[in-house]
Order: sequence, then structure tokens, then C-alpha cells
Amino acid sequence: MLHKPESALIIVGHGSTVNPDSSAPTFDHAEAILRQGSFGEVHCAFWKEEPSLRQVLHMVDREDVYIVPNFISEGYFTRTVIPRELELTGPLTHRDGRLLKYCEPVGNHERMCELLLKRAAEVAPGVPTKDCSLLIVGHGTNLNDNSAFAAKREVDRIRDTGLYGEVFNTYMEEAPLVNEWDSYTTCPNVVVVPFFIADGLHSYQDIPVLLGIEQDTGLAASQRDIFRQNPYHLRGRTLYYASAIGTEPLFGELILDQAALFDRQHSNATLSA
Amino acid sequence: MKRNLTQALESWIAAGFRSIGQITITPQSNGGYELRHAEDLGREDLHLHTSADDARGLSFFDDANVYRPLKTAPTLRHGWRLLAGTAGELRAALDHFYPSMTALWLSYLEGKLPPVPLRETLGRQTGMYAATKRLLDDEGQELVGKACAASACTKRMLWPFSENQPLTQLPAEDLSCEPRVMADGSHQIPLLCHEACNILVAACREVVKKRERAQSPQPSAASPASH
Ligand code: SF4
Repeated sequence: MLHKPESALIIVGHGSTVNPDSSAPTFDHAEAILRQGSFGEVHCAFWKEEPSLRQVLHMVDREDVYIVPNFISEGYFTRTVIPRELELTGPLTHRDGRLLKYCEPVGNHERMCELLLKRAAEVAPGVPTKDCSLLIVGHGTNLNDNSAFAAKREVDRIRDTGLYGEVFNTYMEEAPLVNEWDSYTTCPNVVVVPFFIADGLHSYQDIPVLLGIEQDTGLAASQRDIFRQNPYHLRGRTLYYASAIGTEPLFGELILDQAALFDRQHSNATLSA
Repeated sequence: MKRNLTQALESWIAAGFRSIGQITITPQSNGGYELRHAEDLGREDLHLHTSADDARGLSFFDDANVYRPLKTAPTLRHGWRLLAGTAGELRAALDHFYPSMTALWLSYLEGKLPPVPLRETLGRQTGMYAATKRLLDDEGQELVGKACAASACTKRMLWPFSENQPLTQLPAEDLSCEPRVMADGSHQIPLLCHEACNILVAACREVVKKRERAQSPQPSAASPASH
């Protein structure tokens, strides 16, 4: 297990000014990692909540700092916004007597496929996976992020396992569209896992409405029970809807792994280097 | 580890600091600290919390259960008290109630909190917030006068509007970093804003977009999704 009492970890999330659930998984993973003692300090920072990316470095006592983006893919935020706001000059930044280590986003982790399978199995217990269509919902290709690409990569990996009757990547804004789910799936059971970091606007509101399992009520996921009413019987199928993959507690392990990966890739990164 | 915010916090309390924002901090005889809303002093019916992690839930919603994206809005909920057993737990709880505020105060005292003019913050925006570069001086000053007024946010602004233009629409006490002396003689840790927050940047964008919509007779192209 990673043991870095002399180092600090900053987990960076997107956050939201309208949805109170957006930052919750990032805080949850930070609390779990702190309890487990892998790092001497653990902080969160957000683009749209506090502490902000402009504030968080002041909160850190230690000089050796790992920064892990809690994002589902590389993209605009991991490549432009986070480096700019934290004034990073690359994977390694020496500044003010500190070493800032910018790690890969958690969504890049190769165990993501395993987590998606775990979540899918949990949401539809006892349902034979061979009779099941599995849908991984991504955002789409706007905002020059690569979440659509990342979702596709995970779907290919799941398909290679041969566990599910069929597997599709599906999107909110481009084909294959999530609202047309019954036109391209053929199995009697359909499991839907949102490939998102948090139960934000998309997973608690947009996707359930597109699937047809929910009316638009405008309430946050934590204030409703959208994930507890499974299964839904509609369009002649049985549908199981999971909460966003980023709420999976094992995400914390992946965050730590990204820090460990940084060490393997930059083995001579020390303050005196 | 050269810096130690936990120790700094202990030393401030030893020196007579007893509040931050809307929260009163009371040292306990067992070495711990009690936190509560300053307006709940003397109340006996408060819900007791003993974990610093509970501060997260308490900080997220106001009395009417409305989400508070800006933690320094003067809308801290009432009805609770939280016991922090150690200075470390006190620090963790305050990091939820007022994220980074004790840290910024320490940086300020160390002379390591350079303020960033609003124009500089807006100037480095990209994507949907690049529009904020077109903010006019007058509309910007007016917006800051409302969005950053003590009735909306209890931080004190260290930043000027631009290199050579101070903020004009806010009273001097909203721009001073001096710790306030409370009625009982204790001191208050100030909440500092060394750089405009994302909420203000987003509001600047709204002002620009609204003016440009009003000026242009054609319906403008749909703006990208809110990120
Ligand atoms: S810019 Fe600073 S003072 Fe103004 S609302 Fe944001 S945090 Fe408060």
C-alpha cells in the first residue's frame, strides 16, 4: 500500500454551483484516503466550488504534492484549466520550494473496466449477464474532452470479456443515443451505468429522463431515490439504472494508483533534483 | 515540512482569536474546541456533532436546505454545535465551513498572498469564460459592488479591479484585512479573497452576454453548455 506521510495529495474535481452532489464523491474519496493514512495530508480542490484551484496550494503544509484529477478522461480540464489555474509547467513543477506532481486523471486507469463490471453486477443482482444488454453512458464529444473516446475504450474492454450478452457505448448528444436504447438493444434485461464522476445533472436528471424512467423534477439525486427503484419495467424490458461510476468507493484506490504510477514514470523526481 | 497551519491555528486561538465568519470557536477544558453559529450562543437545543467530517454536510445547505456553493455567503445554517477534539480536527472542520480561509490568512501573515487584479483573472480565461475579457469597467465595478458586498459574501477583497483601478463600489471595511475586534474583546480571523472566485467570473460572463444580446438585433449563436 502507498505510504507517503511526508507527501500531500490534492484531488481535483469539477464541482458545481447548482448541484450539491457534484463534489460529494471527490470529498468521499479524500476522506477515505486520509483515514487509511496513505498520505500525510489530503485536500480537495474544484473548478466551481471551494476550495478553488487558486486557493488549495495555500492549504498544503508539505512540500511534496501529488495532484490527481478526479476526471473521467483527459480533455479540456485536465490539459488546459487545471494546469493553468495551478500554474503547472508540466508533469513536474518546482515552485516556491515545492514539488508539484501532476498525475493522470483517474478515468485513464486500466481498472476502470473492472469497476464498471462491478457496478453493473451490483445494480442487477442475480440477473444472468448473458441475458443482459449493458449500456455505458458518456457525455459526447463536445467541449473537446475525450470522454466519448474513453467510454468507447471501456466498452471494448468489457466486450472482450464476453461476460454480457451485448455491450454498447451510448451518448446523450450523439448516436447511439441513450433515448433510443430500446432500438439497438435486444436482451430482455438492460443495465445502464453512467460513465461520469458524480451524480450530477446528467446522471440524476438528464439520463433518467432520456431513458424514460423519470419525469423532470429538478431535485438533486441525494434528495430523491432514483437509484433505489430498480428495476424499471418499460418498453417491454427490465431496466436497471446505476449511479455514476465515480461514486464507487474503489475509485479511491484508483486515485492512489495514479500517484503510484507517477512515481514509476518519474522515478528521480525529488526536491533536490 | 516548514509550514504548519495546525500550529498556527492553535497560536491564534491562544492569542485571543475566537471566531471566523459566522462561527464562534470556544476552547474546551479538555483541550478540544467547540464550534457553533455565533447567533446560536446560549442555545441549549443544538444538535451535537463530534466528527470534523460532519462539517461538510453542515456547510452545504442553509436553514432552508438550499445549496450554498459559496461557503462565505452569510447563510450558514443554525442549530448545530460541533466538538473538535484536537487542533487538527478544528482545522479540518474549518476547511469545510470556510475552505482555505485559515490557510489564506496564514499566507497573508507570511506575506505570501499576492492579490490578483480582476482584469488579470478574466484575462487568462478560456472556453466559455473568454467572453469575460469584454467586460466593461463600469458594468464590472457595479457587478462587484453587488456580488461581493457583505450581504452576499463575507470575504474581504484584496484584489483591485485592474493594476491601476481600485474597486469603487464597496465600503472600505470590505477591503481591509485587519482582524475585527468583537464586542467581547476577542478577535476574528478574517476571510480573505485574494482572487475573484469562479462564481464572480461566471457572473461577469452573464453581464457581458446580456449586454451583447441586447445590443445585437440578431439572435446570437447558442452558447456552449455550462462548464
Ligand atoms: S470574488 Fe471573492 S468576495 Fe467576491 S463573491 Fe467571490 S469569493 Fe466573495
